[in-house]
Amino acid sequence: MTIVVLAKQVPDPEALVEVRAGGTELQIEQKFATNLFDEYAIEEALRIKEKHGGKVTIITLGGPKATELLRTALAMGADDVLLLEDPAFLEGDGYATALTLSKAVATQGADLVLCGRQAIDDDRGEVGPMVAEFLGLPHVGAVMKLDIGDGAARAERAVEGGREVVEVTLPAVITAAKGLNEPRVPQVMGVMKAMRAQIPRTSPADLGLAPSDIGKAGSKLKIERYFTREKRAAVKFIEGTPDEQAAEAIRILADVERVV
Amino acid sequence: MEKLLVFVEAKGDEPRKATIELLSETRNLSDAGSFAVTAVGLGKISEHAIEKVLGYADRFVRITDGLLDDYTPEGYSEALAAYARQEDVRLVLGAATQAARDFLPRTAVLLGAGIASDVTAIGWADDPMTFVRPMYGGRVPSRCTFTGYPAVVSVRPNAFAVAPAGARRGEYVEWRAGVSPDRIKTRVLRVERESKGKIDLMEADSIVTGGRGMKAAENFALLEELAAALGGAVGASRSVVDAKWRDQDDQVGKSGKTVSPKLYIAAGLSGAIHHVMGMDTSGVILAINKDPNAIIFNYADYGIVGDVMEVVPAMTAELKKRTGR
Ligand SMILES: Cc1cc2nc3c(=O)[nH]c(=O)nc-3n(C[C@H](O)[C@H](O)[C@H](O)COP(=O)(O)OP(=O)(O)OC[C@H]3O[C@@H](n4cnc5c(N)ncnc54)[C@H](O)[C@@H]3O)c2cc1C
Ligand SMILES: Cc1cc2nc3c(=O)[nH]c(=O)nc-3n(C[C@H](O)[C@H](O)[C@H](O)COP(=O)(O)OP(=O)(O)OC[C@H]3O[C@@H](n4cnc5c(N)ncnc54)[C@H](O)[C@@H]3O)c2cc1C
Repeated sequence: MTIVVLAKQVPDPEALVEVRAGGTELQIEQKFATNLFDEYAIEEALRIKEKHGGKVTIITLGGPKATELLRTALAMGADDVLLLEDPAFLEGDGYATALTLSKAVATQGADLVLCGRQAIDDDRGEVGPMVAEFLGLPHVGAVMKLDIGDGAARAERAVEGGREVVEVTLPAVITAAKGLNEPRVPQVMGVMKAMRAQIPRTSPADLGLAPSDIGKAGSKLKIERYFTREKRAAVKFIEGTPDEQAAEAIRILADVERVV
Repeated sequence: MEKLLVFVEAKGDEPRKATIELLSETRNLSDAGSFAVTAVGLGKISEHAIEKVLGYADRFVRITDGLLDDYTPEGYSEALAAYARQEDVRLVLGAATQAARDFLPRTAVLLGAGIASDVTAIGWADDPMTFVRPMYGGRVPSRCTFTGYPAVVSVRPNAFAVAPAGARRGEYVEWRAGVSPDRIKTRVLRVERESKGKIDLMEADSIVTGGRGMKAAENFALLEELAAALGGAVGASRSVVDAKWRDQDDQVGKSGKTVSPKLYIAAGLSGAIHHVMGMDTSGVILAINKDPNAIIFNYADYGIVGDVMEVVPAMTAELKKRTGR
């Protein structure tokens, strides 16, 4: 079974993000982590390999720092990695990013493509379904349980107010949600090996992509401006006995804020 | 006139509230003569839902095809893209529900179109049109534009207000899609609904979320009662979900759901950044915590320092007294 995982490095949720240059730039503290949902995707790929045999390849599109993500994945047990690194790849919207990733996946002949439900920095949740459509594959989104069978997989996904069990023929794209598994912590031996590993890189030309189709140039959605969210005014504490606090809270919510 | 296509999602017999919010917004545009609005329903959709939507749209098109009876991302995306192409629309819009966020990206690829997901505001009259979407867990809103059209947009529930249905009534049309059978490679085997009639967290006007300070699963009954009195839903922090006091479906935060209700009550939760990322764009936030230094108070409009076990039932009682319920 050939499994490809698409994983993205994102700023740590606690990294400081500052809006600069009149809203045209973001200054992001250089603290990165593998996107949480992509960790579930990597772990699931490794478990499937352990059970059914095969090969796990991790693909990421990113800058030089994204090698950290790939080394962590190698340390966890991934067989192969691929870094799509080129200035032309960067700053793409969901469309350009998914187009690029789909070309990279196509070079692998994957039976199964795993990715995260969404990236926590851009919160789009677009890339998985878009990669699937570019490749003409089905997808199952927000999967919490996955069983691989012969030429098909059974996936349990969260839907509003419940869960749905879906059967999908392979090859397919699966996007991982919380609950799928608990990602393993890499062992020291694995880490040592991963530190020495060569990280293969691919350029747009290798994928048959023109720079005008990808990254910022190929994006159909452009960011004009970033804003700083207006901070909430300082909290107003409601004093008194519990009954008094409750009565005052309801009065405010009903008569002042008009939200009840 | 340029056309807007609005994907209609129903829940049982009713159109979803988030769909009506979006249609309320687009009806203003149609009333002002800026756009022609077509609502689109796929597969099975009740007469009642169609009637309701016709009060908001110039047209309701029901796309029929046996292959659309069950939701599949392949079927829905193809049918909607085919209709959008035929009608040469400017925008394909949908409420950013789980289903829409699942298949609209595919529709975008089929149309060769850009997509803006989960937008919270639209500058309709701007040239070019602008779309605001939150990034970095709501911390950084960004304003985006498309480089070309058609384009696909999903709108976060609670971004627009529900308006009453108008006097004008749209026309009803059916359209046969011709979905390619060999495209459908997913099949729903079964659906397990936890509780019927439960208000969906992402669409709820008010949410009462409990954290570890609720101490035990049973105590969530107190939050259920308050939520019922508010007509809202109950959420949970991750600690609570991990402790199996509540289902994963209820989790708010970075690894759970992003919600944006008009009122968010945080009861006995500390306000970890991972949690805040999922609720920071809520309207009014009230936090109840026994620790006056709890971080959650930094993100709240109103704070009550106290014991949830006392304050929450007292709020429910007060609310019932007021509403006579
Ligand atoms: C004008 C513009 C400029 C942008 N500039 C930047 C920028 O400078 N840096 C930046 O990081 N983003 C940038 N973005 C966001 C970038 O478009 C997103 O990374 C891309 O759209 C994917 O969306 P997402 O990250 O929300 O992924 P989602 O669609 O939420 O991701 C879902 C899943 O897809 C996979 N995936 C997504 N992206 C990658 C990737 N790069 N490599 C491997 N797997 C991936 C992962 O499995 C992930 O869990 C920009 C967007 C726009 C519109
Ligand atoms: C990668 C990652 C993703 C995560 N994703 C999420 C997520 O999606 N959602 C999420 O919620 N968390 C998430 N977390 C976890 C998060 O960091 C916190 O651990 C979690 O939110 C804490 O839950 P809590 O506030 O319920 O519990 P605690 O932090 O233990 O807080 C309990 C609070 O209750 C108060 N309290 C106790 N008793 C009472 C009482 N009787 N009356 C009033 N107040 C009382 C205490 O003062 C305390 O402030 C994530 C963490 C990581 C690392």
